[in-house]
Amino acid sequence: MKTTMSREAARFLCRSAFPIARAGPRSRVQLDAVPKRGFSGTSRLKVLKPYILADIGEGITECQVIQWFVKPGARVEQFDPICEVQSDKASVEITSRFDGVIKKLYYEPDDMAKVGKPLVDIDIQSEISEADAVVLDGGAVKQADEAPNKQPEAKEQALEVDGNDSAAVTKDVPSQAAPSLPAEPAQEEGRPRKPPGKHASLATPAVRHMVKAASLNIEAIEGTGKDGRVLKEDVQRYVQSAKTAATTPPPSAAPAQRLEDRTQPLTPIQSAMFKKMSHSLSIPHFLYTDGVDFTSLNTIRKKYNAAREKSQRITTFPFILKAVSLALQQYPLMNARLDTQTNLGKPQLVYQGSHDIGIAVDSPSGLLVPVVRNVQSLSIEQIAAEITRLSELARTGKIGTEDLKNATITLSNIGSIGGGVVAPVIVSPQVAIVGIGRAKTVPAFGKDGELIKKEECMFSWSADHRIIDGATAARCAEVVKGYLEDVETMLIRLR
Amino acid sequence: MAPSRGLLRLLTRPVSSNPNPGSRSMSLLRRAYTSFAEQLANPANRVQSYISHSRDPFVNLSIEDYILRTSPLDSTVLFLYTNRPCVVIGRNQNPWLEVNLGILQAANRQGKTANDTEPPGIGDVDLVRRRSGGGTVFHDEGNLNWSITCPRTEFTRDKHAEMVVRALRKVGVERARVNERHDIVLDQGHRRHPSDPQDTHQTAYTAEEGGPRPLKVSGSAYKLTRARALHHATTLLASPNLHTIPQYLHSPARNSIQAKGVESVSSPVGNIGLDVDKFQQRLQEEFTAMYAHQGKVPSVQMVGEEHLNIPAIRKGYEELKTDDWMWSQTPQFTLLLEDLFGTTIEINVHHGTIQTLETKCDRDLGDMLEELRTALVGEKLQDIGDWVQFLQSRIEPWHSDYEIVADRLEKFLPVPQFGRP
Repeated sequence: MKTTMSREAARFLCRSAFPIARAGPRSRVQLDAVPKRGFSGTSRLKVLKPYILADIGEGITECQVIQWFVKPGARVEQFDPICEVQSDKASVEITSRFDGVIKKLYYEPDDMAKVGKPLVDIDIQSEISEADAVVLDGGAVKQADEAPNKQPEAKEQALEVDGNDSAAVTKDVPSQAAPSLPAEPAQEEGRPRKPPGKHASLATPAVRHMVKAASLNIEAIEGTGKDGRVLKEDVQRYVQSAKTAATTPPPSAAPAQRLEDRTQPLTPIQSAMFKKMSHSLSIPHFLYTDGVDFTSLNTIRKKYNAAREKSQRITTFPFILKAVSLALQQYPLMNARLDTQTNLGKPQLVYQGSHDIGIAVDSPSGLLVPVVRNVQSLSIEQIAAEITRLSELARTGKIGTEDLKNATITLSNIGSIGGGVVAPVIVSPQVAIVGIGRAKTVPAFGKDGELIKKEECMFSWSADHRIIDGATAARCAEVVKGYLEDVETMLIRLR
Repeated sequence: MAPSRGLLRLLTRPVSSNPNPGSRSMSLLRRAYTSFAEQLANPANRVQSYISHSRDPFVNLSIEDYILRTSPLDSTVLFLYTNRPCVVIGRNQNPWLEVNLGILQAANRQGKTANDTEPPGIGDVDLVRRRSGGGTVFHDEGNLNWSITCPRTEFTRDKHAEMVVRALRKVGVERARVNERHDIVLDQGHRRHPSDPQDTHQTAYTAEEGGPRPLKVSGSAYKLTRARALHHATTLLASPNLHTIPQYLHSPARNSIQAKGVESVSSPVGNIGLDVDKFQQRLQEEFTAMYAHQGKVPSVQMVGEEHLNIPAIRKGYEELKTDDWMWSQTPQFTLLLEDLFGTTIEINVHHGTIQTLETKCDRDLGDMLEELRTALVGEKLQDIGDWVQFLQSRIEPWHSDYEIVADRLEKFLPVPQFGRP
């Protein structure tokens, strides 16, 4: 089928573990005549395609073919090795993406194969069984009328594959087609029909009149009377069900007309948030905001990241955590805990020794605040690793309560979504919280008054004004700003 | 810094070792088999670590290949091993071009290296063709081999070289860095200049242009399959044979063979100067710390010859020892015998078999060329053994000219018989 083919073709062409250089010119897909009406059992494809040698990284443009594992005429299955190639220090096994038959080998062993050029010709003879067709096509039986609809869908999937090669290599056929599947057979099936009784068309004159008046076919009505006779109630029931069937489509056709209210209890995360934030209602928040110049920080970061690959790159967030931790050493009041329980009537402050910074993370189930412990003793690299670990746990829902409790101060990186100035809400018993907005490129003035670009990020500090006066909060914020704008000053204080 | 859980576990749990596999009972052997294979393939073990107590390069390479093919697709596995003295050539290399085959066997060495003032003292040196690419290296007990198998999507050539450099720097080897070819070198500059200690690609001792070249202490090679990537490398810690290595890696035929395979890039080498066992431990620690976030490291398990009872490992081991793998995997090449009776004889070899024998110019060599052709074309080099004897048995009547040809061939295309069982 065209649809399957173009999707297959796209995946075939874009296979690459390193999204560095794209494979060369796309080759045309040759389509054989496709039968219009496929059997519901299997449908066969015949596509002869050149299999391009994908980029193997390191800027290598050609590599030597060491040995072939197949010959022309050999049947291969997906993931069967086709050949082994070698480039300077790496020997690479090339595997097949499809089931099919090898038709032609483009090189002899010891020849230099060019990256981006065809390696073999493969005749994709994937026999798509009903199960496969169901996953790939969303219903083999309905190809004829659905084919034009599926075409744009297949193209989109092709584009998706382009954009994310390494994931595409390992991911299986998109399961998006699958959900549409269960709906269809249910609709097609309808209600199982009872075999018509002996006197299915037998009815009293009164009933016949009813049937005629309603312009119905008496055979279509299920008779519950003796020997399947159609009774008055049967007709009435039939008419009723016809009406409801008729009335249900309109609401879906005009959804804007009426939206129903929905009542739902709070999810666990929402109720936790409700409780916590209700406590926070009693805290008078002092909001202090300022922009922090990220230009120098980003320069250093880029230099560090240039030598590392994706999983080890660091964002600005670990730097911010470290800067805040350093500032907390100078302003320990910001890291204190307000204790109003121990001595009722006499609130006291507990100056906490470790900087356990909570990082607000948006997870599929809602807001979670995992805690990075002892930031004062961690290096920026370690902080980054810890953030990654905790975010991953939070995102997959695997985070434990140990990681979620007893933060001494919280940082909310709302900037990862967006925002400039925010007014974050302090989580008691903490006394401060920092909200970090999105870094934006803004115009500014340089040393000599010339117009320059700078990357500015809004930091919004909320402090408990029962404990912390404005000046302290402001000074602490300024210290953090200083550290981030001039990362060298952090080095002097780094432990 | 909070100690990683993996590290604590490593230090507190005694490392199991089986120094004398021969004396174990069958049930224990079976347990060793099942525990290694099971542990390796268990998808819950995302980070694993093994050390080999075997010094047999064939065993170690086979275990390494088994790890590559059997470990779970998202796991990262460290494997450390040391070999008895051997020369290891890359997957696609030409042993006649890269190795001085004549001196590999101790018996032959006495005669051939009469000029050497230092006693060789190495004994027989094995010859091995590994499965990964890259160049030719010399292994002995002072060289630690490390290999890391990880998911292909996470693989970069520098990643683990940097890990090793970090481990080296932590024990005071400040001059170590990763160079542009992803090898580890020791900078030899005399002057200290400022350098970022976290940057594993530069040191404070980088020499200026024309200054002393950095010494290579580790060379890497890679093997990539569909979903996994293997990166293995040597580490010259304390080799007693540093001065003789160049002899083994200089082939007398290097100017006479035109080949299509990958050539070795020769660099001056040096010892790092560390104890092998101690550094092995350090490397374990560095690896554990690097992958602490991925999962707990099971306690380091020892592997060795006893695991040859795993069929896949034995199969790989047998293959590495066959003559076909060793010799016939050599890509096509041409040997030029120059200045031979005023002409040049070209011998073309493909699949380890002599394909053609031609002369550059049609000097009338009489029947000689035809006789040589009849005797040699279609013969596998690995079957030849001693050239003089071989030709003598094939060519009649024997002529002293043939002897000259045979001697040349013996010099350039020797095929040491290793008598592998």
